[in-house]
Amino acid sequence: MKNYSKITPEGTKDLLFDECFANRTVSAILGGVFSERGFHEVLTPGLEFYDLFSEDISGIPMEYMFKMSDSKGRLMVVRPDSTLPIARMVSTRLQNAQKPLRLYYNQRVYRYNPGLTGRSNEVMQAGVELIGAGGMRADLEVMTTAIDALSKCVPDFRIEIGHAGFFRALADKLSVSPRRREKIRFYIESKNYSALNSTLDKLEQTPYVDMIRKLPRLFGGIEVLDEACRICDDKEALETLVYIREIYDRLQSYGLGDRLIIDLGLVQRNDYYSSLVFSGYVMGSGEPVLIGGRYDNLLDSFEAPDPAVGFGINVDALARVMMKRGNIPHKKQPDILVHGEDGYEIEAVRYTQSLTQADILGENSVSGTEQEALEYARARGIKKLAVVGKEIRTIDTGV
Amino acid sequence: MKPLRIALTKGRLEKDTIGLLEQAGYDCTAVREKGRRLILPIGNGEIEVVLAKAADVITYVENGVCDLGVVGKDTIMENGRSFYEILDLGFGKCRFALAGKKGSDFYAGYNEKTIATKYPNVTRGYFEGKGMDIRVIKIEGSVELAPLLGLSDAIVDIVETGSTLKENGLVIIEDNVAPISARLIANTASLKLRKAEIEELADKMEKERAKMK
Repeated sequence: MKNYSKITPEGTKDLLFDECFANRTVSAILGGVFSERGFHEVLTPGLEFYDLFSEDISGIPMEYMFKMSDSKGRLMVVRPDSTLPIARMVSTRLQNAQKPLRLYYNQRVYRYNPGLTGRSNEVMQAGVELIGAGGMRADLEVMTTAIDALSKCVPDFRIEIGHAGFFRALADKLSVSPRRREKIRFYIESKNYSALNSTLDKLEQTPYVDMIRKLPRLFGGIEVLDEACRICDDKEALETLVYIREIYDRLQSYGLGDRLIIDLGLVQRNDYYSSLVFSGYVMGSGEPVLIGGRYDNLLDSFEAPDPAVGFGINVDALARVMMKRGNIPHKKQPDILVHGEDGYEIEAVRYTQSLTQADILGENSVSGTEQEALEYARARGIKKLAVVGKEIRTIDTGV
Repeated sequence: MKPLRIALTKGRLEKDTIGLLEQAGYDCTAVREKGRRLILPIGNGEIEVVLAKAADVITYVENGVCDLGVVGKDTIMENGRSFYEILDLGFGKCRFALAGKKGSDFYAGYNEKTIATKYPNVTRGYFEGKGMDIRVIKIEGSVELAPLLGLSDAIVDIVETGSTLKENGLVIIEDNVAPISARLIANTASLKLRKAEIEELADKMEKERAKMK
């Protein structure tokens, strides 16, 4: 039998030293921002029942989830997303809590990606959910939190906003089957201009068909909204444009400039998003580092209707970019190695602690002899060795 | 500013794309005289061409190490995954077809049919759409051999003129499995972060393509 004891499963890896430190640093920065903005951290189970993530609610295809069964044969999944478990938690344990709830999470999610493409199946995700608050104030609160979080890590990010209701309003006016509608949505999402055109060519040519045809190209600066207003005369769709403009103007006063972009073709597969949707991009990462939006109907599926808005950040991707740019501070080397002579082991521990209190980074030696401690210090590049006995001698290691 | 990086599928699509780029006014001497190099500057160095195998073009673009790619629709259909497909370049035209041995009725009988193909995902998707259960066998080389040797009932493969099929005694059963041509694809983050540069290049290519028609 083949033995797999020495390799990690496809799409997972060990994080060592710098990589681990970078990951934790980013998590800590994000957690700090969320906490300062008044969000409270929660942890959800690593395992959940499959029913919570059924595809029509989560939009996550079944084959992307790691599945197993419990002792009663019920189907379980390894958490593929954090928003749904939080929605479940809010609708049960927090149903009588004072709303709005301001929650944040910082935990791993697991999704099976088709093999050998270089993607991880295990991703550290940090994000916030603001539950029980509708309207623009809540949207701005969450978006400015997202902006604060990214600013602390990668100041050259771009935030993109869109509105799930824009496509919905236009698509409702088409007389197409749900299957064809999903096809159209997919072609817009993947900006597949040619396939979208050939699908739309088969329909009766109405002004709405024409507007949908232009959707994938409607991304860029504020001029996109002017263009959309010019070609669109549907009342519902226009209302969504007015809303995006209001959000855009207010975020401009938060100092975003050209880092704020608009994409009216942002029609994500996660169709639990009901109105505002947004993504964050960074040079050096081939996929969005942040995805979020408003999901006012999601809690209906738990019979606890409440408006909600939130986002998730891919901590691993952010850490990778920051490491490549050299923006993660290096973990400090010990300044001094402390070696206790026989019978002075505890004194050595105490002395190391006293150094730390004086802001000198000390490491307590576990070598058998003073000579071995000296060799270890040289190999590690530690400049000083303190030998604790009747008295304390400090030796230069000569590195 | 980093150059815009475009991955081209080696071979015919590479030549056709370079032809298009030259007509659009980009200096492609480096690619014409490439030797064995695989990363080459074109124009005034604002664009870098990377030469790769078809499926790798998708992998490079999806991971964001290349901003753009030129790849056949056949490879996109087989490999899927997430990127933007922004332009149908119009060249590299052919189609997926279902073909079987001359004189045998593919749809006859109740036995499960076996299909040999280089494109298992495309094949599965096609028959799923028809509501037909089939067995797929993946073949790497000349797929035409499989029905001739009795391994499969039919094949799903790319057909351009149909002469290879004819010479081997095969006939087309379904000609409309899917049309194929070369596509310009873009990384999702790149299209947002470098919109102006990518749109400029795509517009130029589209204009030249329209002239060729």
